Amino acid sequence: MSSDSAADPARALRLPPPCPHLVAYRSGAGAGLRSLYRCLRRRPPLGRPEVRRDPGEVPRCGSCRDGGARLYACLACAVVSCSLHAPDHAAARPGHEIAVDVDRAELFCAACRDQVYDPDFDAAVVIALTSLITPRAPPTQLGNRAKRPRRVEYRPWAPDEPERAVIGQRSSPLLVQEGNASSSSTITTVNSTANATTTSCATSSAPLPWGLRGLNNLGNTCFMNSVLQALLHTPLLRNYFLSDRHNHIVCQQKSRKKTSAKERSNGRDATGGLQICLACDLDAMYSAVFSGDRKPYSPARFLYSWWLYASNLANYQQHDAHEFFICMLDGIHEKEQDPFKPPSHVSSGECCIAHRVFSGTLRSDVTCTICGFTSTTYDPCVDISLDMDSKEGPQKTNGSKHQINGNETKSASMNQKPGTSTLMECLERFTRPEKLGADQKLFCQHCQVRQESLKQMSIRKIPLVTCFHIKRFEHSSMRKMSRKVDQYLHFPFSLDLGPYLSSSILRARYGNRVLVSDGDDSDASLESLSNLELFAVVTHNGKLDAGHYLTYLRLNSQWYRCDDAWITHVSESMVRSSQAYMLFYVQKILYYKASGNAIIS
Amino acid sequence: MSQMSALNDGSLSPLSQRASRCFDNLLESIIVDVASECHRIARLGLDRNLEEEEEELRLSAQARVADPGSSGESNSKNVIDIFGQTHPAIASETFDCMNCGRPVTAGRFAPHLEKCMGKGRKARTKVTRSSTIARNRHSRGSPVTVYAPYSNATNSSRVSNGTTRTAGEEYGDFTFEES
Repeated sequence: MSSDSAADPARALRLPPPCPHLVAYRSGAGAGLRSLYRCLRRRPPLGRPEVRRDPGEVPRCGSCRDGGARLYACLACAVVSCSLHAPDHAAARPGHEIAVDVDRAELFCAACRDQVYDPDFDAAVVIALTSLITPRAPPTQLGNRAKRPRRVEYRPWAPDEPERAVIGQRSSPLLVQEGNASSSSTITTVNSTANATTTSCATSSAPLPWGLRGLNNLGNTCFMNSVLQALLHTPLLRNYFLSDRHNHIVCQQKSRKKTSAKERSNGRDATGGLQICLACDLDAMYSAVFSGDRKPYSPARFLYSWWLYASNLANYQQHDAHEFFICMLDGIHEKEQDPFKPPSHVSSGECCIAHRVFSGTLRSDVTCTICGFTSTTYDPCVDISLDMDSKEGPQKTNGSKHQINGNETKSASMNQKPGTSTLMECLERFTRPEKLGADQKLFCQHCQVRQESLKQMSIRKIPLVTCFHIKRFEHSSMRKMSRKVDQYLHFPFSLDLGPYLSSSILRARYGNRVLVSDGDDSDASLESLSNLELFAVVTHNGKLDAGHYLTYLRLNSQWYRCDDAWITHVSESMVRSSQAYMLFYVQKILYYKASGNAIIS
Repeated sequence: MSQMSALNDGSLSPLSQRASRCFDNLLESIIVDVASECHRIARLGLDRNLEEEEEELRLSAQARVADPGSSGESNSKNVIDIFGQTHPAIASETFDCMNCGRPVTAGRFAPHLEKCMGKGRKARTKVTRSSTIARNRHSRGSPVTVYAPYSNATNSSRVSNGTTRTAGEEYGDFTFEES
C-alpha cells in the first residue's frame, strides 16, 4: 500500500475499503494502475489532469457517439462510454466494471455506480502532474522522515534529595488566599446590565488562580497592560520565568561585571547602574504577579526599561498593542540569547524563549501561470496577521438571489449577520491562491523571464503558542488617513489549523490525491498538533486614537477580564461577543522531544 | 434559451434541441466537477468538522444577543474586583521614579517619565520657556523646576484610561498647587 501510511499511520488519509470489483481488478492480470500516468495529460499549465491516449484525442461514447458530461474509459478494454451506457458495458462483460472518468481522472465502478479510490492510481496522477510541470523526479515519500526528532514520554518533575534540601532552606511558602470573603457579593456597577450575565466568583470556596493581578495604568499604557496580561499567562512563557530560567539577579550581575570591566579598561569608573534587560524586568514582574499579592501592580520599572529599549516609541501616547508585542519579543530575543551557545537562527526557533514559544514557519509558494513551475520559500513568523474582509457580509447578496422565487428565503447556511466575518474565513483568505497583478511579475526559473504568478501562503509549522493579529487598523499613506475596522469577528474557542497547514494546502493543490508528501514535512502534519485552544483575547474598543485595550484570560476553565487594575470574572458569552484584536491560542497537546541533556526542554 | 425557436407543434427545432442538450451537458459537467471533488474529500475523511464550527457560530450569535456592544470601557471602573477591591480611576500608588528619584503617582508616571527622560516633543532641554512660565506663576518665590512632580498637579482635562492626548501639551495647561 502507500508508503506514506506505513511510515506514519496518524497522518494517512482514511482510505475507504475498495469495492469487490476494484479488488478483483487489482488482483487481475491487467497492467498496473500506476502505469496509467502515461495516458494522463494536463491542460497546461495549471489545469486538471485528463486521460487521453494522444493529445488530440476527443473522446466520445462508443454506444451513442455523444460528447457528454461524463465519459468513462473502461480500464480493461479502453472503450469509452457515457454515464448512460457505462453500466451496460460493465453488466455485459465481467471484469470490465472499473473505468476512469476521462475528464477528471477519477476511478469509477460502473457496477457500484460510484466513484472509487485507489492509492496506486492516485500515485500515477501525482507523478503525471509533477512531471508535466518540470522534468524533475516526483516527490519522494520516504527518506526525509529520518530528520524528525524522537518523541519522548513526558516525565513530571519532582525534586530529588538535594533539591528538596535547597527548597527547604532557601524558600518560604507563599501565602495561599482561601478564596475571597467578599466573593459572594454582587458586583456593583454603574450600568448593571453590562455585568448581568456574570456570576460572582466561580466557586466562593475555591482559591482564585495564581498570577491573577491587576496592572495599574501608568498613563495611556493599557496597550502595554493588555499584552503583558496575555504574556504573563502564556503557559510556556510563564513556566520558563517561574522556574527561574532567567534569573534577573544573576543576569544583572553578569551584565554589570561585563560593563564595568569594559569601562574600567576604558579608564572610566563603573556606573553601577542597572543594565537594560526586558527579560529581567519581565522576570521581576512574574515574581510580583505570582507572589499572591492581589493589589494591582505598577509595571513602572518595565515601562522605563522598555522606553530605553524602544526609544522611538517612548512617549506618553497610546500605542498599538500588536506593535508593543513584537517589540517585546525582540527585546527578549536580544537579551536572552546565551552567549556561550552558538547563535541559532531565528528560523529554528531555538534562539530564545520568546521564539521557542511564538515562532512558527510560514510557507510561500509562487507559481508561474505560464509554465506551472512553483518556487517555495519558508519564513519564520512570531504571529499571523490577518486582514478583515472589507466587503459586506454574504447575507446581502443571498437575499437578492432568493427573490426569484418571489419570496425571500433564508439562506440554508449559517445565519450570519450582515457584515460579520469569522477567523476561519480570514484564514481561508490567507491561504487562498492569490493572482498577483501584472505589475508584480515575478521571475520564473523555468521560463527564465518575469511572468504573472500565483501566490499561496500556508502554515508549515504551527508555533507552540499562536498569536493571531486582526488587522483592524488601516493606515493609508496614500490618503494620509487611518481608520479602524469595527466589524465583529467571530473566533472559536477551539481551533483546528489542519486545513491551513502546508501539507493540506499542497494535498489540495494535487486534487487531494492519496499519496502526496511535500518532501520535508514537519511535525505539524500530525492531526493532534493542529488542535489549538484559546486562552487570551486582547480586545480594542473605541476609536482609532481614543480607544481602550483590555484582555480576557482563561484560567482553570474560567474567563477573567483584565481591564488595567480591575480584574473581574466574566461569562464565556462576554468573551465571544468582544471585539478581538489579538487572539492567543495554545496547542492542546504538547510533545516533548528528546534533547541532549537530562532536562527536557 | 429565449432564442429557442418553436415549431408549429410546440416542440423545439433540431438546432434548439442540440443547443439545449449542449447546455445540459455543460451544466451537468460543472455539477459533477463539484460532486466529484466533494465525494473525494468526504470519502477520504478530509472534510472539516462542520458540526463543531456551526456550534461555535451559534454560541457566538447567542453571545452577541446577550451582550450587545459588550466590553464597555468606563462601565467597569466602578466595580469591585474579584478580590473585593476597588480602585480609583487614576492609580494612586506612589513610588520613586527610577530616572530622577522623585516620588510619582502611578497613574501619572508615564507623562512624568516622558518629561523626565527628555522624550516627547516639548520636553527637550532643561531650559525651556516653560520653566519661565512656571517661575512666573509661582511669584511667591518657591522654587519650581521644569520637572515639577505631577502628583501635586490637578489636571481635569486629562483622562488616563487609554485616551490619547496630543503630544507635547504646554505647561500652561496645568495648575500647580503648593505642596
